[in-house]
Amino acid sequence: MNDILLQLGNNPQARRLVKTLGLPLPIPQTLARAKSAIEARPLHDYEIAVGGHRGEGESALLEVLAKTLTKAGASPLVVGGVEIPRAFRDHGDAWGRPPRGLLLDALPDELRLDAMVFDATQITDAAGLRSLYEFFHPLVRSLVKCGRVVLLARPPALAPSPEAAGAQAAVEGFCRSLAKELGKRGSTANLIHVDEEAEPLIEGPLRFLLSTRSAFISGQPIHVSARTVDDEALADWSPAQVRSLEGKVALVTGAARGIGKATAKLLADEGAHVVCLDRPADDELLSAVAREIDGTPLLVDVSDPEAPARIAQTLREDHGGVDIVVHNAGVTRDKTLARMKPEQWDLTVAINLDAVVRINDALLADDGPLLDDGRVIVLSSIAGIAGNLGQTNYSATKAGVIGYVRRLADELDGRGVTVNAIAPGFIETRLTAAIPVMIREVGRRLSSLGQGGLPRDIGDAITFLATPAAQGLTANVVRVCGQSFVGA
Amino acid sequence: MPVSKQDQPKQRAVIVSGVRTPFVKAFAEFLPLDTIALGDAAVAALLKRTELPRREIDSIVWGGVILPGSAPNVAREIALDLGLPPSVEGMTCTRACASGLQAITLAVAAIERGEADVVIAGGSDSTSNAELKVPQKLVRTLGPMMMGPNKGKATPRDMLAVLSQLTPITDLLPRIPKIAERTTGEIMGESAEKMAVRNEISRQAQDEFAVRSHHRAAEAIASGRFRDEIAPVETPSGKWVHQDTIVRGDTSVEKLAKLRPVFSRDGSLTAGNSSPLTDGASAVLIMSEDKAKALGYTALARFASWSYVGCDPADQLLMGPALAMPQALARAGYELDDMDLVDMHEAFAAQVLSVLSMLASDNFARARLGRDKAVGEIDPAKLNIHGGSVALGHPFGATGARMVTTMANELHQSGKVTALIGICAAGGLGAGAVLENAGA
Repeated sequence: MNDILLQLGNNPQARRLVKTLGLPLPIPQTLARAKSAIEARPLHDYEIAVGGHRGEGESALLEVLAKTLTKAGASPLVVGGVEIPRAFRDHGDAWGRPPRGLLLDALPDELRLDAMVFDATQITDAAGLRSLYEFFHPLVRSLVKCGRVVLLARPPALAPSPEAAGAQAAVEGFCRSLAKELGKRGSTANLIHVDEEAEPLIEGPLRFLLSTRSAFISGQPIHVSARTVDDEALADWSPAQVRSLEGKVALVTGAARGIGKATAKLLADEGAHVVCLDRPADDELLSAVAREIDGTPLLVDVSDPEAPARIAQTLREDHGGVDIVVHNAGVTRDKTLARMKPEQWDLTVAINLDAVVRINDALLADDGPLLDDGRVIVLSSIAGIAGNLGQTNYSATKAGVIGYVRRLADELDGRGVTVNAIAPGFIETRLTAAIPVMIREVGRRLSSLGQGGLPRDIGDAITFLATPAAQGLTANVVRVCGQSFVGA
Repeated sequence: MPVSKQDQPKQRAVIVSGVRTPFVKAFAEFLPLDTIALGDAAVAALLKRTELPRREIDSIVWGGVILPGSAPNVAREIALDLGLPPSVEGMTCTRACASGLQAITLAVAAIERGEADVVIAGGSDSTSNAELKVPQKLVRTLGPMMMGPNKGKATPRDMLAVLSQLTPITDLLPRIPKIAERTTGEIMGESAEKMAVRNEISRQAQDEFAVRSHHRAAEAIASGRFRDEIAPVETPSGKWVHQDTIVRGDTSVEKLAKLRPVFSRDGSLTAGNSSPLTDGASAVLIMSEDKAKALGYTALARFASWSYVGCDPADQLLMGPALAMPQALARAGYELDDMDLVDMHEAFAAQVLSVLSMLASDNFARARLGRDKAVGEIDPAKLNIHGGSVALGHPFGATGARMVTTMANELHQSGKVTALIGICAAGGLGAGAVLENAGA
C-alpha cells in the first residue's frame, strides 16, 4: 500500500503545513484497527451515549442494549428521561458499569464519547424523527476520532402502516448522511434493522459495529433476523464471544494472498482450523500461509470441473466436515465490452460465479460436508452493485453473487446455516495496485473515509460473520467500502 | 465440586498454632531484616511457643512475593538457618498476596493426602529489601560477551558494537520495583481507584471502613487478644519490636478526610484507606488430627474447603474474592449465612467494599456466578472483627497466614463454628477458604 495522503496525515508537521497553506488536500484520518483476536470486552472503558425515541411502553431493545454494552466493557451514558431504565441499572451492577444520566441541555464541558447508540424502533411517524435531531445535534461534536454511531430500527417492509414504514425508512437516510459527515474524522455510522423477536441476536452485530473491527464499514444497514434460530435457543441466547471458532473447520478459497490470506489468519486467530485453497501455481505462497496459521493447504483450481468433488471429498474425509466456507477466489479481466475477448468473459464468469455455485452444490449435497449451523460467505463487490466501466463481465458475476446468496439463504434456514455476501469497496490489494494511477487515486478518495481499506478490514467482517454471535445475519450483503460514493 | 483429593482425605489436617512477627512499616525498624530473617523469627517463635519436638517436623512450606534472587527457596533457608534436622524439606510458593494462604493449603493438602504429618506453613515479605533489578537489556547485551561460549575473546570492535547497543544510558539504570501489573502496566492503587468508581464506593465509605479497621485492631492489641499471635522481634541493633507499628487507635474519619488522594488527582484512595507497604512474617503449625492428639496439642480449626480463581486483570483487578468466596462456600456445602466470621484481606478499603457490593448483588450473582440470588450481605459485626490489612499492614506473603491464625484462634476461643476467608491478589487472582472449629 502506498497512500501518500495517509502518510502525510500521519506526519504532524506535514499535516500542519497542509492546513496552514490551505491546500485543498482532504487528508484522511488513519483508522483505528483491532490489534488482537476478538476480546471478551471489545468496548473496554468506552463511554457510550445511549438514547432513543420513547414510544408507548418500553422498547424491546432495552434489555439487550444494556446487557451488550456493559458486558462488553462500556459505560453507558443514558440520555434524557427522568429515570434511568432498570435494565441499565441491573446490568451495570452485574458488570461494574453503572449507568450515568446525560441531560442534553446541560452537557458536561469535557464530554468525550467513544460511541453513540440510538434506538429508533419506536418512531412511528414523521414528527417522531425529531428525536434523531434532538439526540445527535448536541452530541455529535463530542464524538472522538474513529468513533462509532449505531442506529437501531425496524425493517420498513414489516411496519404496521405506510406511515410507520416511512418513518423507519427515514432512519436509513439519516444514517447514510450522518456517516458522510463523520467520515473525515475516521468515524462511522451504521444501522441495524432488527426483526421483532430477534432482539437477543443484536448483541454480536452491535459489539462488532461499535468495535475497531468494523473500521471500514460505514453508512450500511444490516438486517438481523431470527430465521435461522429456533425459539428455545433464542430464549437462552448467549454464544461464545472469545475464541469462538475453536474446533471449527473453515475453507477459504484464494487464500494465497490479499483478502483471502488476511481472512485465513483472522479465522485461525479465533481458533478455526483453516483449509487454505488456491491455484497449484501459487503453491509456495499458499504453503507459507498454511504453515503460519497451522492450517492445511489445498491446491485446486476452482474452475476445474473436478474441483467441487475433490474439495468436498477432502473436507469430508480429512476434516470431518466444514463449518465455514469463504468463497474469496476471484479474477478481473477488465475491458470495455466492445474490446473484450470471449475468453476474458468466460474465465471471469467461470471463477467468480460458476465455481461458487458448483462448489456449494457439492458441499451442500445430501452427503456433502457442510455441517449444521455452518456459514457460507461469498465475496461480491461494489462493482456488482453499481457497475464499473470496463467490468461488464466482473460486475455481472458480482451482482450474480448477491442474487445467489439471497436465494440460497432461504434454502438453508432450517439447518441454522447463514449465507451472506461481502461487498468490498476499494481495498489495497494486488488487484487494485494494478489500476492506472489516476483512476486508483479517484477510487481511493471517493468514499466517506477518504482512503482505501486493508485486506484485514474484509477479513474482520468475514470473521465476524463466521462467528456464532453473527447467527442473526443471513441473506445480508455487507458492504465494506468506507461508504464509497459508488452505488451508495 | 471436588477439591483435589479433599473429598476422601486419608486424614484430616488441623491448625494447631500460629505466630507472627509484629507488622512494621517498610523501610523502618525491620530494614536490616530480609524476608528470610523475618521468616526465621516467626518460625523460631512458633517452635518456642509450641515446644514442638524438632524431629517431628516433616517440612516447611513458605509463601513470598518479593523473593531473594540468590536464595528464592525461603522455606529451605529458614530450616537451615534454624538448625532444624536436614530432613526437614522445604518449598516456597508464590501467588501474589494469596501466597501465605497458598502455602497453608498446600500443607493441608499434603497432610490430607498422607504425605506428611507435621508441616510449618506461612509466609514473609520484606518490601524494604526488594532487590533493584538490572535491566534485561544490559544482561542480554553484556551476558554473551562475559559468560557466553566466546567469553574472554572479545575484540575492541566487539566491545564497541556492544557499547553502541547500550545507549541511551537511562535504559540501563537499575529500576526501583513497583507493584505494577505486568500485562496492563497499571499500579495496583490505580486499579483499585477504578474499582471504586465502577462500584460507586464513596471516599466517606472508604474512610469509615478504614477507621473501623484501625479501631478494631487497636482494641485487639489493647485487650491482649494478639498476645498469643505476635512474638517480639529483636533487630540486629539490639532494639526490640513488640507490637504492630501501623495501627492508629486515635484516628478518625475527620483526620482521614484531610488526606490527599494518592493514585489519581480527583480520586478517593488515600494513604489512610489503603494498606501500606509492610515488612513481616507469619507462621502456622499444621498437623494431622491423630498426630496432634498424640503429641498433646489442641486442634483449633480445620479447612472445610478452599478456592483459587482468576479474572481479567484489565477489568476489575481485585474482584477475585467475589468469585472465590462463593466457590469455597459451595465446595464446603455452606451458604454465606452459615458463616459466623468473615475475614477479608484489605488491600484497599475500596476493594473490600467493592467485593461486598458484588456479593450482595442479585444482578452480579446471576451474571457472574450462575446463581439466582445474591450470595448475601456480610454483617459488619462479623467482618474483620480484629481489623485488617489497612490497619495492621500487609507484608504480602505473610497476610494469609496472619488471617488463618487470627480466625483459628477466634473460632477456638469463642466457640464459634465457621469462618470465611477472602483474599485478592495481583494478576486478577482471588482466594477463598472456609475454616471450621476443630473442637465443635
